[in-house]
Amino acid sequence: MGHTGVGLVVDNLEVDYVTDDGIVRAVDNISFRIPPGLRMGFVGESGSGKTTTALALMGLIQAPGRVSGGRALLGNTDLLALSPQEQVRHRLASVSYIPQGAMNSLNPVSRIRDQMIDGLLDHGIRMTNRERDSRVEELLSQVGLQASVARKFPHELSGGMKQRVCIAIAISMGPKILIADEPTSALDVITQRLVMQTLRNVQEKVGAGLILIGHDMGLMAQFVDELMVLRKGKLVEQGDVRQIFKSPKHEYTRALIDSVPTGAGRSHGVAATVATAPSPFEPPSMASSSRPALLELRGAGKNFPSGLFGRGGTRALFPLSMRLDGDEPRVISVVGQSGSGKSTLAGLLLGFLSPSEGEVMFEGKLVSGKGASRPADYYRKLQAVFQDPYAAYNPFYKVDHALAEPLVNFGLARGRAEILANMQRACEVVGLDPDQTIHRFAHQLSGGQRQRLMVGRAVMLKPKLLVADEPVSMVDASLRSTILASLRDLKDSHGVSIVYITHDLATAYEISDYVIVLNKGRVVEAGTPEVVIRSPMHPYTRELVASIPWPDPDRTWGEGEHTDTSYGIAAGFDDNTTILRDTISGFQLRV
Amino acid sequence: MPDHSPSSSTLGAPPAGTWGSASRQRRTITLYLRRNPSLLIGLFLLGVLAAIAIGGRLVVDISMADPLSAPAVRAPSWDYPLGTDKQGRNLFAVLVVGTWLTCKVGLISGVLGVLTGTILGFVAGYFGRWWDAVISLVVDVFLAVPPLLILIVISANLETTMTTTTMALIIASLAWREPARRIRSQVLIMREMAYVNTARLNGTGSLGIIFREMMPNLIPYLMASLVLATSAAMLSSVGLEALGLGPQNEPTLGMTIYWAMHYSALLQGYWWWMMTPLLVLILLFLGLYLVTVGLDELANPRLKRGGV
Repeated sequence: MGHTGVGLVVDNLEVDYVTDDGIVRAVDNISFRIPPGLRMGFVGESGSGKTTTALALMGLIQAPGRVSGGRALLGNTDLLALSPQEQVRHRLASVSYIPQGAMNSLNPVSRIRDQMIDGLLDHGIRMTNRERDSRVEELLSQVGLQASVARKFPHELSGGMKQRVCIAIAISMGPKILIADEPTSALDVITQRLVMQTLRNVQEKVGAGLILIGHDMGLMAQFVDELMVLRKGKLVEQGDVRQIFKSPKHEYTRALIDSVPTGAGRSHGVAATVATAPSPFEPPSMASSSRPALLELRGAGKNFPSGLFGRGGTRALFPLSMRLDGDEPRVISVVGQSGSGKSTLAGLLLGFLSPSEGEVMFEGKLVSGKGASRPADYYRKLQAVFQDPYAAYNPFYKVDHALAEPLVNFGLARGRAEILANMQRACEVVGLDPDQTIHRFAHQLSGGQRQRLMVGRAVMLKPKLLVADEPVSMVDASLRSTILASLRDLKDSHGVSIVYITHDLATAYEISDYVIVLNKGRVVEAGTPEVVIRSPMHPYTRELVASIPWPDPDRTWGEGEHTDTSYGIAAGFDDNTTILRDTISGFQLRV
Repeated sequence: MPDHSPSSSTLGAPPAGTWGSASRQRRTITLYLRRNPSLLIGLFLLGVLAAIAIGGRLVVDISMADPLSAPAVRAPSWDYPLGTDKQGRNLFAVLVVGTWLTCKVGLISGVLGVLTGTILGFVAGYFGRWWDAVISLVVDVFLAVPPLLILIVISANLETTMTTTTMALIIASLAWREPARRIRSQVLIMREMAYVNTARLNGTGSLGIIFREMMPNLIPYLMASLVLATSAAMLSSVGLEALGLGPQNEPTLGMTIYWAMHYSALLQGYWWWMMTPLLVLILLFLGLYLVTVGLDELANPRLKRGGV
């Protein structure tokens, strides 16, 4: 398209929100310029004003919010001074928006083709049916999708495909500015890389300026040219991305960069690669210990039956055996994308799901499987931290309920004073102010506070095993390292073993002693993180590792072009191959 | 908060639970009612009828609702403000007694129906497996049978010995079906909530989870179900009575309509005989309808999140 000129110039943008407590300035005096072809990153936590800035450019600020100052020149037009009708004409045509969670922004009852054409028709572009088809086909091919996608409905596409459809819609009128608001927040790393590469390709082809909104510094490092760090509506730091990563001027920027796990905190001495061939394990070694293991899975798997007679069904987890001695605390990470079976494994460990075959033993007692019975103090020794820190609290009660109930039920504390003292300690270990936390409802705490309190609860109960199911995936980046540090402390100071379930290899690398990579319900590769993540062998693990957006602008982000998940065939590995690498003491895995 | 990330929508939410003192609580309720006018008007209408049913006893001798206690067929006058019927009942006394009796039928069968339905719904939804299979099957079968058919068959056989209480029990025998199904679906949703899992980890047993974790969150929903079941029961009772299958010796609103029709009250120009029960029934159902709509808003989590 080749837009010439200066691109977008924003001067002193201000956005106010009128609330009961007065006026809140959501965006405070922000200026920037985006020449054609430049990729700009807006980074900051929730409430930093990054999305609000973008919405202001789109003319989408709604009451009680209002743009109270500044201008945004795109060519000769001030985007902030447009009438509502003019705004409608400029949206998509000159500024277009790729929303967060594309799966929800597509109309479920309308075919992709019609949704792609909608915007063009609304802008008064007249086309014959044949022209429409060829236009849709051309747009789809630009984002790497086949023409057949046009006839499909959104539910027939994967998340990554839907997001690429949204990108195709966004470029359909050759806009001068593309705004992508956390475009990959709901996608796994492999799909994330694919979508971001698609976005980069079309942006370069269209020659538009691009604003990427997000809180993931790793993604920023891999994608943008310039970076703006926002905090509470104010600009903290702005500049070339390499410069910022090399020498951040502001403390907050440094904290954001440091919050991305890079594995720098680990000692890399243990590079002794041991096993190569599949399954170097001797079956008898599993049962040969004199003391009963803390946790033992014996060929446990899960099949979700379907249909009237429960035949067939979906295989969520293929049978696997593992044994965690528990004498020394261990952090075992289970890594996989959605649908890999990692949450099913968590459900089996916690006894929320019963295995379709095999057994789960806890301290030598059969707790799940045929003829299982759970000891009364089962959950005294086995605890969990869940992904969604809001849903984990009963909305009817104050947060005290979640803390006091186990103390009373397990007889850990008696009387009001003792319970209160315990709750206060639970807050303090995770750095929360007890006065600001106890006697409140969950919705009065921030997401980070809720999750930290859940970790504090686990510390307070001192279980022997903690299952942490994606504990940091819904928490702001800067709090992730705090929560992970609390988990590590739980292991080091309190001797708690942790099963850490995540889709994020980087955090797994940071905290774990052993990593299990799952794909489609099977163990793909397992071993110590130094071996599995530093030098992955299975093509799937390699793909996964290559897709991690490291916070290093000079590192190239792999060139993965896999659109499906059959990684193994090309490299001579079967999809069902399991590669067990090196071992650690106190934990054994067999499939 | 202006930002669109997942946690921000709750950050700015008003502190709903901070009901400190009683006066603050009262103020919160007043404020809420102002935002929910249908609940307010509905409660007002029901309040007026309750005042008639209760306060009326102080004004009029309720034995005047029996036959032959007043001169027959008098138009409204100072002595008989709503007139009298052909059997010599004071229609004002009938209004006072009948409103209460009809409400009694509705309340007894509504409470019994919701109670049974809640138990069945919780057992089916929470314990699942064959409990669910059996209960759901029974509910589905009973939902498919037209209730009036069953009610008429039972009532017709009991005609002479029928009282309002037996009437209420007959209606209650079918009033559990819809609550059972609705509660089951709610329990199925709640069972998967993370806080139920937290409760399991807290060492809370099944009964504790049902009564202390799930039930409190269902209270607005149960209230709406109760109102709905009560009004459905009253509608059934009025229907049966208008067919002459109600309690012959008690002056419920429905039976009054039946007698008025029996003696062709409108043809003979005794408009007041028919008007009294009709007006009360209209107000009653309007009030119940508005309360249901209001409670629905209270129970609907999407609307509720706007802040109570």
